[in-house]
Amino acid sequence: MRIELETLRRGSGRPILVLHGVNPVSPSAPFLDPLSKHGEVIAPSHPGFGASPMPADFETIYDLVNLYQDVIDDLPDNDVTLIGLGFGGWLAAEVAITRPAKLSRLVLADPVGIKIGGREDRDIAHFFNSHPAELTKRAWHDPSKRPPGCYGLGWQAGIDDTMTDAEMVSLARNWDSLCLYSWTPHMYNPRLKPWLRRIAVPTLVLWGESDGIVTPDYGRAYAGLIPGAQFETIPAAGHHPELEQPAAFVDRVVRFIGTGAKS
Amino acid sequence: MVSMELWNHCENPYPFVPAEVLDAADSVRASLPNKYCDPQTAARLYDEIWEEYRLCDDIGLNIVTNEHHSGINNLWAASPVITGIVASMTSKVRILTLGTLVTVRPDPVRVATEFATIDVISKGRLDIGFVKSGATEMVSGNANPMHIREREWEAIDLIEKSLTTHDGPFSWEGKFFTHPHVNVWPRPYQSPRPDFWAATSDLPTCAELGRRGFVNTLLFGGYERTRKAYDAYKQARVVAGLPKVGEDRFSYMAFCYVGDTDEEAMRIGQKIPWFLTVSIKSSPQFSKFQPGAVAPEMAPAAWRGGASKRPTDLSVASLIAQGQMFCGNPDTVAKQIKEFRERVGGVGRIIMMTRQGLVTHAQAMNSFNLAAKEVLPQLQDLPAIDDSSIAVAAE
Repeated sequence: MRIELETLRRGSGRPILVLHGVNPVSPSAPFLDPLSKHGEVIAPSHPGFGASPMPADFETIYDLVNLYQDVIDDLPDNDVTLIGLGFGGWLAAEVAITRPAKLSRLVLADPVGIKIGGREDRDIAHFFNSHPAELTKRAWHDPSKRPPGCYGLGWQAGIDDTMTDAEMVSLARNWDSLCLYSWTPHMYNPRLKPWLRRIAVPTLVLWGESDGIVTPDYGRAYAGLIPGAQFETIPAAGHHPELEQPAAFVDRVVRFIGTGAKS
Repeated sequence: MVSMELWNHCENPYPFVPAEVLDAADSVRASLPNKYCDPQTAARLYDEIWEEYRLCDDIGLNIVTNEHHSGINNLWAASPVITGIVASMTSKVRILTLGTLVTVRPDPVRVATEFATIDVISKGRLDIGFVKSGATEMVSGNANPMHIREREWEAIDLIEKSLTTHDGPFSWEGKFFTHPHVNVWPRPYQSPRPDFWAATSDLPTCAELGRRGFVNTLLFGGYERTRKAYDAYKQARVVAGLPKVGEDRFSYMAFCYVGDTDEEAMRIGQKIPWFLTVSIKSSPQFSKFQPGAVAPEMAPAAWRGGASKRPTDLSVASLIAQGQMFCGNPDTVAKQIKEFRERVGGVGRIIMMTRQGLVTHAQAMNSFNLAAKEVLPQLQDLPAIDDSSIAVAAE
């Protein structure tokens, strides 16, 4: 079975595979150019997102996890850095517990995917049941700094007359696909948490200090479940630090990539 | 000759939340806290509507129950409970559940069990209606809004097999539902099963209803959309080589108020569109931005201007003109229904939404009496409608 993935590539060298969050990585995302000076950034759109077709039999996160194991296996280089952003961080963690042979490092930025609190604690603000204005408030340190053409959580509040029909169709498609994969349990896999201990590569967990979708405390707990993981926060950033503070984001990632290569 | 039926559809609305609360709320469904629902008032409403249903049973108006959750529009949230009570308190008229929302129920076998039980309690007076639902119901029911049409069909298939299999247990391992041991007790009173209805104006779905022989009902479709839906149903049968069906396969729900005079009916009828003006307010995340709510290619139209099918002029006169309301004295209403029937190519079952909005118990009782005693007799033994053009179009 051949699965087509729209893939953004930037730079050259060792592969830096980026798994996106609610929307695919925009070609205008400000972290792309500086990061691509340190390797080849490879950012596929998940099936059902962007221009990637949705295979008829894709249903759950399980399908994505197996797909990205294939993607990593098929990369020509055996020194792969995997970066997961938000929802993509959940995916990246799921992939990492399978210990892909070519995976060297893992970076999780504001990932979802696990349950930390009690049964009456809402660890993850509800993506689909929250008002767009509420999501915007929670997801951004300063929504006015959102780079043009880049959409994170609360994207609905950014719809205006300047948006093209094609952009709207794409956002609607991304939203539908995200929902298919993650409606219930909302944005987490109850079985992931006990297996995070299987992650066997150096791991950096980055968190926007102002993230109100999943808080830095959730992030600290998440990092604490991954053997040897570093946890760092990025000031003046919310759920999308790669968009709000691209320089700080790239700086942390590059410092991390420069260390801890797989032996 | 064709004889039409009248059905009473009451959602048991709760129009007693202060306007300032409703104005301040993002949504009057799904997220409005239940502190605004006074249980004593709710108990009075249930009693009033039981009385209306007893009257319907006496005078020959069939009864529709439905289901919505967590909002001011509807206190029938536990639909099988309500339908079971109606089955027990009535003895003559038919009862349609329209319906338990199978897209939010995790186990269709349990739903089939509830239906079979109600059919036995009613001694075979149950009809089973299916509605796709969506929007706030997905939130209240914690059901993934993606792929709900496909999920609904699998639920319907499993319910049908559960109701018609009598040498079980049988096993079901579908895409959405699995059950290794299906064996519904009691089996339904009617054989092979209660009649199935579905509410839709989606043309491919209407065509599928046609192939399956379900009753196709529309809600407020107006003349044009309703005609197109029924035509899709009929054409699908012609294409599939299936025999022509009677008008009892077609149903239509509209606002309805029958008064002693046209003037009285128009005055009271104006209380009914509360359903549209107040009771369906919902937040954007529960409506146009809900995943699956619109096909992605339709998103620009829906998001830019709103692609609402709702009528924009909610005066009684306008609703009547659009075929979305039947309202007036008994002769006026009979004439409106007969004209509607002719313009849509035949419809046998009219569902009246009467006890709606701010219409009182006494006003509803009066309308039901007039509908049964003075409108319904005018809808009997009507000449057949020539729809032979359908066969030509299908060819």
